[in-house]
Amino acid sequence: MHISTNIWTWVAVLLTFGIFSFLWKDNPFYKFCEHLFVGISVGYTIALTWYNSVYPDLVTPLFREGKPLYIIPFVLGLCYFCRFIPKVSWLIRVPMGFVLGWASGVAIPAYFQTNIIKQIQGSLLTPAIFARWDIFLWALISFIGVVCSVLYFFFSREHKGALRLASETGIVFLMIGFGASFGYTVMARMSLLIGRFQFLLRDWLGVIK
Amino acid sequence: MRRSLPLALCLVMGIIMMIQFFVPHPVSVAFYDLTTKWIRIVSAFALVLGVGSLVLYHTDRLRRKRAGWEYSIVTLAGLVVTAIIGLGWGVKPGSPLQEVLFKNMLVPLNASMFAILAFYMASAAYRAFRARTKEAVLLLIAAFVVMLGMVPVGEAIWHKLPEFAEWILSVPNMAAKRAILFGVALGAIATSLKVILGIERGWLGGGKG
Amino acid sequence: MSFFEKLLKIDRKVIFIVIAVLVLFPLLKPLGLGVSSGPRAKAVFDAVDAIPPGKTLLISVDFDPASMPELYPMLVALMRHCFAKNVKVLLCGLWITGAGLADRAVTEIPPEYGKKYGEDVVYLGWKAGVDAVILGMGENIKNVFPVDYYGHPLDSLPMMQEVTRLRDIPFMVAISAGTPGFADWLLYAQSRYGMRVGAGVTAVSAADAYPYLQSGQLTGLLAGMKGAAEYEVLVQKNGYSRAYMPAVAAMDSQSLAHIVIMVLVIIGNVAFFATRRIRR
Repeated sequence: MHISTNIWTWVAVLLTFGIFSFLWKDNPFYKFCEHLFVGISVGYTIALTWYNSVYPDLVTPLFREGKPLYIIPFVLGLCYFCRFIPKVSWLIRVPMGFVLGWASGVAIPAYFQTNIIKQIQGSLLTPAIFARWDIFLWALISFIGVVCSVLYFFFSREHKGALRLASETGIVFLMIGFGASFGYTVMARMSLLIGRFQFLLRDWLGVIK
Repeated sequence: MRRSLPLALCLVMGIIMMIQFFVPHPVSVAFYDLTTKWIRIVSAFALVLGVGSLVLYHTDRLRRKRAGWEYSIVTLAGLVVTAIIGLGWGVKPGSPLQEVLFKNMLVPLNASMFAILAFYMASAAYRAFRARTKEAVLLLIAAFVVMLGMVPVGEAIWHKLPEFAEWILSVPNMAAKRAILFGVALGAIATSLKVILGIERGWLGGGKG
Repeated sequence: MSFFEKLLKIDRKVIFIVIAVLVLFPLLKPLGLGVSSGPRAKAVFDAVDAIPPGKTLLISVDFDPASMPELYPMLVALMRHCFAKNVKVLLCGLWITGAGLADRAVTEIPPEYGKKYGEDVVYLGWKAGVDAVILGMGENIKNVFPVDYYGHPLDSLPMMQEVTRLRDIPFMVAISAGTPGFADWLLYAQSRYGMRVGAGVTAVSAADAYPYLQSGQLTGLLAGMKGAAEYEVLVQKNGYSRAYMPAVAAMDSQSLAHIVIMVLVIIGNVAFFATRRIRR
């Protein structure tokens, strides 16, 4: 066992235990760590945004290279500060309109292409599925599953008769899907805990490699 | 003007960017390049809103001495100190921001916050996960198969278990998730269209004008 | 109170202690259960393996310290695979808190293979604007990242003379903890620029990626810590690395943890139904 002598490792360990102390009960040490986390995250974001985005993308071209067109996004960006000046707070809507319009316009063809057209193509039953009996069976089951699951979400008509049968079949597929997601979620959460324990045992106590 | 200007800007940008996807003309591409640059700059300024809201909330809590006001000092101090260190000494590797604040404070705090979820998930699974209905039983079985199939012990129990888990993920789970994806994509497209056309105006906020 | 009622009312701290002990134990005394790789991880491996030497793999580091245990081993294994095959690595990120993590990998891994920054690996850094960043890179990477994460102008980096836009890159892997992530790369980089995309995701989002796998939009998937372990094993089995495998080392704990959760659910249900029966 080689306990770390690095003071910053001990700081990291203390903060780890501070957060873990919440498992016992809510306490001032946990609250301190929680609030510190929020403060440091935001401060880190400010610093990185300045050096990685604002300085190379705006300050350099506008103020150092003298490219006048950059004044437009600069002014649009400054409008965000108007949020805190009641008399002109409406100006914040201008950059928001610009960004929302741009993002929505760009998103529509992208969503159609990626999440509608390609997914429909993937669902279609093509001659290739007859290559083997199992490929055919799984493709058919998938197709039925997709159609029935979509029909489950169709609430414009009462689920009666054939629609009810399809909807109930859809529920079966949805439950299996949610079960699979839950199984994977268990794995995810446990992985994060294992990662923290690995840090404590390896970097702090030195009992594992 | 306070509402019509942002709405008009949103409409114009939305329609232009939708059409731009299909137009490879050099003017169209040049406009696309220009607006993509501007969006990155304006997006960086959006940070102002988040930081401003956080600072306003905590300064208000401090001023009015509301419950937990002492912790607001921690948040604000953390924010200011981190931002000053980052802006003053830079964000490059080896800087105090990266070596001390990121590595030894932000990482353990962030990681530990999510690591404790494992405990709560285990507790919730014990207390709340009840196989009361057929659907719940289906969900449970799918979860168990995936949980066992995705770890080495599952293969040790039955060598075909990973294959069976993979089948559950690739066939019924895939079908269910695809149906949900269709719904989400159609919803996103509909919302984007509503934003562009000014039918969805929640982003304008309330107040006068 | 019957035994089953007592069982239902057990203090949750007991459950916490059980979880902690059973996760810690295999880390200290490994059980020796092996890890075999599945078809999804193999698909990512084969796609990276097929990149000709001298060409570039793009890795998008879209995660934060919270997801490090699952995703950081994937990043490291991918970089080791590339360097062993003389494939260059270009990194960027859509998550601001992932910037420091990518930097750590860029600092630690290339020297193991004698690789030089600027010639064999470049880290572009993080930039605000997700979709604008991806779309901008599709046209011209230097427009989006005039300098890299360390402040070097891209023009001064030999590797970036051949890689100017996304179409110059044969394959990319988006290592993502959520949104923004691989879905955004599919939405913008693949739909507009035909980018081939593989994904490394946290286990939480793994089940949601299967529609993209089936439609062929995703070339392979590394799912959670198991996916990371599978890739580590593939890299080592093919002789590309002999380094310590942290994800593989964690799989014994993972196995035990899953069994514990299953047992807890079963006990909870048995106690619940037994209690209900007694009350009737």
